[in-house]
Amino acid sequence: MRHVSTLVIRELAAYFLGPMAYLVLLAFQVIAFLNFWELVDTLRQPQREYSSLRDPMLNYISGSPGFWIAVLVAVPVLTMRLLAEERRSGTIETLLTLPVTEAEVVLAKWLAGVVMFWALLVPFALYLPFLYYQAKFYFDVGPVLALTVGLTTMGMMFMAIGLFFSSMTRNQIIAAVWTFVTLFFMIVMVPLVHLFGARQRAGWAEGVRFSSVLYQIQSLGLGQFDLRFLALHLSVCVLVLTLTVKVLEARTNP
Amino acid sequence: MTNHEPMIQLDRLTRRFGSFLAVDRVSFGVGKGEIVGLLGPNGAGKTTTMRMLTTYLTPTSGRARLAGFDVLDDPLEVRRSVGYLPENVPLYGEMRVREFLRFRARLKDVPRLKLRRSIGEVVARCRLEEVENRIIGQLSRGFRQRVGLAEAMVHDPPILILDEPTAGLDPLQILEVRDLIRELGDRHTILLSTHILPEVEAVCGRVIIIARGRIALDERQEDLRRDTAIVVEARGPAEAIRAALQTVPGVERVTLAGQDGDHAGFQVHTRGERDLREAVGLKLSANGWPLRRLDLRRSSLEERFVQAVTQDTLADAHREAG
Repeated sequence: MRHVSTLVIRELAAYFLGPMAYLVLLAFQVIAFLNFWELVDTLRQPQREYSSLRDPMLNYISGSPGFWIAVLVAVPVLTMRLLAEERRSGTIETLLTLPVTEAEVVLAKWLAGVVMFWALLVPFALYLPFLYYQAKFYFDVGPVLALTVGLTTMGMMFMAIGLFFSSMTRNQIIAAVWTFVTLFFMIVMVPLVHLFGARQRAGWAEGVRFSSVLYQIQSLGLGQFDLRFLALHLSVCVLVLTLTVKVLEARTNP
Repeated sequence: MTNHEPMIQLDRLTRRFGSFLAVDRVSFGVGKGEIVGLLGPNGAGKTTTMRMLTTYLTPTSGRARLAGFDVLDDPLEVRRSVGYLPENVPLYGEMRVREFLRFRARLKDVPRLKLRRSIGEVVARCRLEEVENRIIGQLSRGFRQRVGLAEAMVHDPPILILDEPTAGLDPLQILEVRDLIRELGDRHTILLSTHILPEVEAVCGRVIIIARGRIALDERQEDLRRDTAIVVEARGPAEAIRAALQTVPGVERVTLAGQDGDHAGFQVHTRGERDLREAVGLKLSANGWPLRRLDLRRSSLEERFVQAVTQDTLADAHREAG
């Protein structure tokens, strides 16, 4: 595992040698700025009652459509290159004939992706100290921390999924489309299915709700630190990463 | 590893892709310090063989050992002992030459203290000084090839495996790369593939011709060159002439090349460097067989190549027909 740090550093450098990382970071910065504007605007209106379900902090990240759309686009963009490009250019052949194991390669690429995902959350975190110290809005720190942990494990899972699709093809676009479709299903379709089930008062609706990423993150954002969510994220992550290692070991030549 | 074990040893190495047999029971050994050329038409199985030796592909059956390590049992040790330059030289275009070499050296476990020296050495050996801080994607084909070579040998492996190292270069660059490979022969055991015949003659001490996944010829360069034949055509009973020619001192074997009416053609293979044309002529006239042709023929690599490849194809055609 001693090669992982070397590989991660190269992978991060590769992100910033192209325009993609900057564009995605810029997009997240803009969304964080707009959401913060909205948050401050809401808080300025005096004398409004907030129930726990109408927590204004909820709209800042976990309940913001802009944030979710950006995630839906950013994850495929950040992961599509990771292994598909190595296949396309043939460098996969030299990479996998180095004294480096497939697991090290997969782990390093995934870690680089996770670091990038973290970097995307930084703009959102930047505004919070101002809100707390400058504007004296003493929001609960607990839910914010729970949300951070939840977003991290969710990012780990999403990056693993993106990396998996990137390992299956030599065409970055195909990898991106598959990742987008999968994430779209997880983020958008699952809540719709739940809604449908709930209207029918079906027993399975509750199960579907639990597996919805949107619901999980919003619960965490409300301070319900449910370890089952994290366990689910991490299990999927480990499973998908293992599959990716197997794909590399199989040396298929798509 | 025992002292006498060859650096590269293949034992009935086989690879199938579905129903297609890409490499079929290939066995050979390469001794320490040898430069061996793997020759064959496109699609003969050269690249697949090399990919198995570098552990990129796993063999369907058979074994291969490099520097004493089995490709299936100790793939990481094999990778440590081998420097590999694949066809088309894939590199990270966005990196700078020195940065790339440093990255690869780290992954190949070159100790930190030796990094600077090892990289300096390969940069000098591959004459990359003038481009060491340039971006790889902007380099010319010749320089990219040399960066690939430098990358392959940055951890000073005992074995170098080079897949078509001169493909796509201009004639001057080809000469440079060949010189470089010849120089490398003093420190490394080299297996290189090519379909350019003069390249093998210029660089390799030994030639292995692969056709349709099988070895068609495996000979040392000097044996190939020494293998001369005298072409004889004379009038008379073919069997008697053959027997008589066989008795000439220095003759190894005589083969009947063809008959044309009363005339019979022979190929007389000789041992050693001595020219036996006069002795053969005397023998024939002593027996009273009129001589029509007496010629010396040195078999070139090209002839042997065509012979080996077409023979194999013919044999296949027969097998398929039967």
